Amino acid sequence: MTPVVAFRELSKWYGNVIGVNKLTLEIPAGVTGLLGPNGAGKSTLLQLATGQLKPSQGTARVLDQDAWNNPRLNRFIGLCPEQDRFYEWMTGWDFVDTCARLSGLSRSEAREAAARTIDSVGMTKHQGRAIRGYSKGMRQRIKMAQSLVHDPKVLFLDEPFTGTDPVARRDLMDIVLRLGAEGKSVIVSSHVLHEVQSLTSRVVLLNHGRLVAEGHVREIRDLIDKHPHHIVLTCDQYRQLAARMLQWPDVEGVRVLAGVNGLVVETRSPNDFYARLPELSLADGLAIQTVYSDDDNLEAVFKYLVSK
Amino acid sequence: MAVPSASPASQSFFKTACSGLATLYTLTVRQHLHGKRWMVIGTLFSLPAGLAILVRATSPDVPPTGLEFLLAMMLLPQLLLPLVALLYASGIIDDEQEEQTITYLLIRPLPKWAIYVVKLLATITTTVVLTAIFTTATFAAVYVGADAPFEEWGIRLPKTAGIHCLAVAAYCCLFGLASLLTKRSLVVGVIYIAVIEGLLANLPFGIRLITVIYYARMIAYRTLSYVIATPHGEENMAAEAWQLDLQSDPELLTHPPLSTCFLVLVVASVFCTALGAWICSEREFHVKTPENV
Repeated sequence: MTPVVAFRELSKWYGNVIGVNKLTLEIPAGVTGLLGPNGAGKSTLLQLATGQLKPSQGTARVLDQDAWNNPRLNRFIGLCPEQDRFYEWMTGWDFVDTCARLSGLSRSEAREAAARTIDSVGMTKHQGRAIRGYSKGMRQRIKMAQSLVHDPKVLFLDEPFTGTDPVARRDLMDIVLRLGAEGKSVIVSSHVLHEVQSLTSRVVLLNHGRLVAEGHVREIRDLIDKHPHHIVLTCDQYRQLAARMLQWPDVEGVRVLAGVNGLVVETRSPNDFYARLPELSLADGLAIQTVYSDDDNLEAVFKYLVSK
Repeated sequence: MAVPSASPASQSFFKTACSGLATLYTLTVRQHLHGKRWMVIGTLFSLPAGLAILVRATSPDVPPTGLEFLLAMMLLPQLLLPLVALLYASGIIDDEQEEQTITYLLIRPLPKWAIYVVKLLATITTTVVLTAIFTTATFAAVYVGADAPFEEWGIRLPKTAGIHCLAVAAYCCLFGLASLLTKRSLVVGVIYIAVIEGLLANLPFGIRLITVIYYARMIAYRTLSYVIATPHGEENMAAEAWQLDLQSDPELLTHPPLSTCFLVLVVASVFCTALGAWICSEREFHVKTPENV
């Protein structure tokens, strides 16, 4: 099957800085999550895919056409950029209507499309207000609307949920899910795994401009579970606690944090570890004050996967 | 799931692009009329009219033609027109890039070279309209109520405004190109205005042939008279101020004729525009990604 987006040996350098490094990837139709920590190359990749950047090496193709300097292709793609920038003096309506007309829609078509799209992102009530007065959630919604107004076949969303409140996030996620259900191809970038996980099971992991992993989210999850977890515990009797924990079979190491009366425990079975903790307090009378994961974030997982 | 294709839509790309570019033209004019720049431009352009009122109030004996020459043919084209053109044209692409709104243009079905050309055309429209308005205001401040027949200055006004419009359009094309070649286009532009258009254009050397103001002046000299009566007889203010040697070359045969001056400005403007369009079509515009080192 022809992929919707195809990168072949794609590299992008900014002088000595590498944005994307020899990346070969095919993205099929449907919703795909593009995951990676800040600086992983997600925005660069999306800018290459939307023809804003010229590949230093390799090719970036969308709908079987070269993306660079190809304005004809732009009729079929939409981009919700990461940056929170607008023509601030415009109203939400004016902005979306102008974007529709920039896409070549006639005055009446643009009006109709703007009304429909603004309604689909739940901004009809606020469409007459100047963008400069919008909340972050409203700005994200109106940014999403401009990317949809010309009814693109492929949609690129660059960190669309950043800075949004839970309601706006849920609404924006619903829009992406709806687009997926309607048969649109959506590539959504994020640095938060659970956000992407609730949108799609197909995930691409990037780090330092390289493809780290791709596939079903379950496979990525499995990789995460193999990754040694670091759990921080604080307790007044931290030395006794350390001695006790070293006897547990699933604990691979313990490091004392003397300054805060705490420990960093390394384990590959965090679920078993957490399950055993209450028992420890009851049986040994060790009052554990705080427990938190030191690396419950993608950065640690990426580091692990890259160094693997 | 079926893979969509980028098959030709019912509407042709040409029609789509034209429609989009017409919107871009309107958008750019609207952008020009927003923000603080508009106030700066208004203040700058009001200067000649303000000075005319001040001079007439304090020195009623100053001949109107002399005042017109100083304000409309010296101050305006040599300083204000290039400054206004610089303020507008240097931001044609830079402002969009700085504000990071250029993304909204680059992801539309609009060729990059056309984005530049249309934005430049909109900038020329804005500056030409402003120039015509404020040239008229300057003439009104110089002549209304003065001892000069309207039949006379009423003919001089459209000619002067036309020369100004031609000059400001040429400056826009030049500074638009400069903004694509350097990140410090404002600084470079101010230096260019001061040194090339301000200093070198006033020297009787061949280097003035590369300035916009020289051709604007030659068109003005060949279409308008700036001869005023003084106690010592008639004086050609233009010839004196613009270093034109009427003694040895009374017909100015060593200088280009009217049509050549006009053609040089038009051809230079078209050349700068074409070069700017080509640079734009090949260039990447970085938003949230580092510039190439």
